[in-house]
Amino acid sequence: MSDCRSVTEQLTSYVDGQLDAGRRIELERHLESCVSCRRDAAYERGGHTVLRHHASRLRDEPLPPGLRARCESAVREQAGASLPGWRRTLVPTVLSVIILVFTASAIFSLATRRSDAVLAAQLTADHTKCFKLFAPADAPAMGAHDVEEMLAREYGWKIHVPPSSAGLQLIGARRCLYADGLIPHVMYRANGQDLSLFVLKGVTRNASDLVTFGHRSQIWTRNNTTYVLVGPADSSGLADATQYMIKEAQP
Amino acid sequence: MFGRRQRAAPDTFGSEVLRYLEPLYATAMRLTRNRADAEDLVQDTVVRALRFRDRFEPGTNLRAWLYTILHNTWRNRIRDTAREGTDVDSDRIEELAARAEGPVDVETPERVLLRSTMDAELREALDELPEAFRQAVWLRDVEEFSYAEIAAMLDVPIGTVMSRISRGRRQLYEKLSRTRNDAQVPASR
Repeated sequence: MSDCRSVTEQLTSYVDGQLDAGRRIELERHLESCVSCRRDAAYERGGHTVLRHHASRLRDEPLPPGLRARCESAVREQAGASLPGWRRTLVPTVLSVIILVFTASAIFSLATRRSDAVLAAQLTADHTKCFKLFAPADAPAMGAHDVEEMLAREYGWKIHVPPSSAGLQLIGARRCLYADGLIPHVMYRANGQDLSLFVLKGVTRNASDLVTFGHRSQIWTRNNTTYVLVGPADSSGLADATQYMIKEAQP
Repeated sequence: MFGRRQRAAPDTFGSEVLRYLEPLYATAMRLTRNRADAEDLVQDTVVRALRFRDRFEPGTNLRAWLYTILHNTWRNRIRDTAREGTDVDSDRIEELAARAEGPVDVETPERVLLRSTMDAELREALDELPEAFRQAVWLRDVEEFSYAEIAAMLDVPIGTVMSRISRGRRQLYEKLSRTRNDAQVPASR
């Protein structure tokens, strides 16, 4: 086996100590006579040794605050132990819808102009998922200024966040998981109902109001920015909150 | 693998999954190279693992199964969003590899280790590797999965896994040696 190509193919097994004795001796004989393969073997062993040596410290990445709690809450919800019967069946259904919508909508991009229904479906999926994962029922209210600062710091976004008002609580903001993660998603609660405001800068759309997957999406545009408010399909009790958002969303 | 209806006790399965949060997050960090994406990816992985728990065969390796979900999720995400760094086209990898592998003087592994390679420096060197190489060396040398397990996670043949590990290790070592040489070369030479 003096063929460099076959030596190259076996270097990884060699460095990992997984070659049988016969092939190892043959390979080492080749290395003695071949500078180039010897260098490759030295490099490969070097990379392997450094990584193995530092492996435990490399694995040591502190979890971001809240990640464990959110995953634990996903586990609790999945277990369904504490849920009333109707929610036990609703949660898997909602999850299936989310996954279906996610799969179906992931091929679309908001950068291109798609129908309002697709936009609404994508954002409804994000709305449902983010509230499920990131917003416990007792989420505390947050200051609009703090949320604006967080969005600027974490994602470099400068947007105006409508503050809490009577009957409406600002509870946080996320990066929208879909649409390339390029859209700020601001989360509110109004009379116990979940409301999401999405801000699409540089996008212009005609105003629209439609119901998708049991949620109502209201779309409007001001100053070359499109806003989408997603909430419960029957938002008749949220008229004030909706009016407030439409008035307050743009700076 | 599919169609299995047998369920582990809910709390047991869930808490088993939660045991792997830290290693999943460390892996997601090297995969995505930023905290927000890594966080989303881990969370998605957990939600999917719970959702598809019926497909997990009790008695098999849960850690490997979770890593497979993590990598599948990431692959789907970068394919769908066509973001930068998704190119695992083998020609391009070969080209990158060839460009990076010039003949340079290398130090012995012992000397590189002795100069107390900072973890930050090593992470940086890892992050500079093409994604396909980075995944392969991480899964092999840091997480110690077998070639076959890695091949299943990345959905590529074993031969490809081994060649990516090989390229990744060599490029990484070269980067680390180079950093050292750059720092040491006097101004006049």
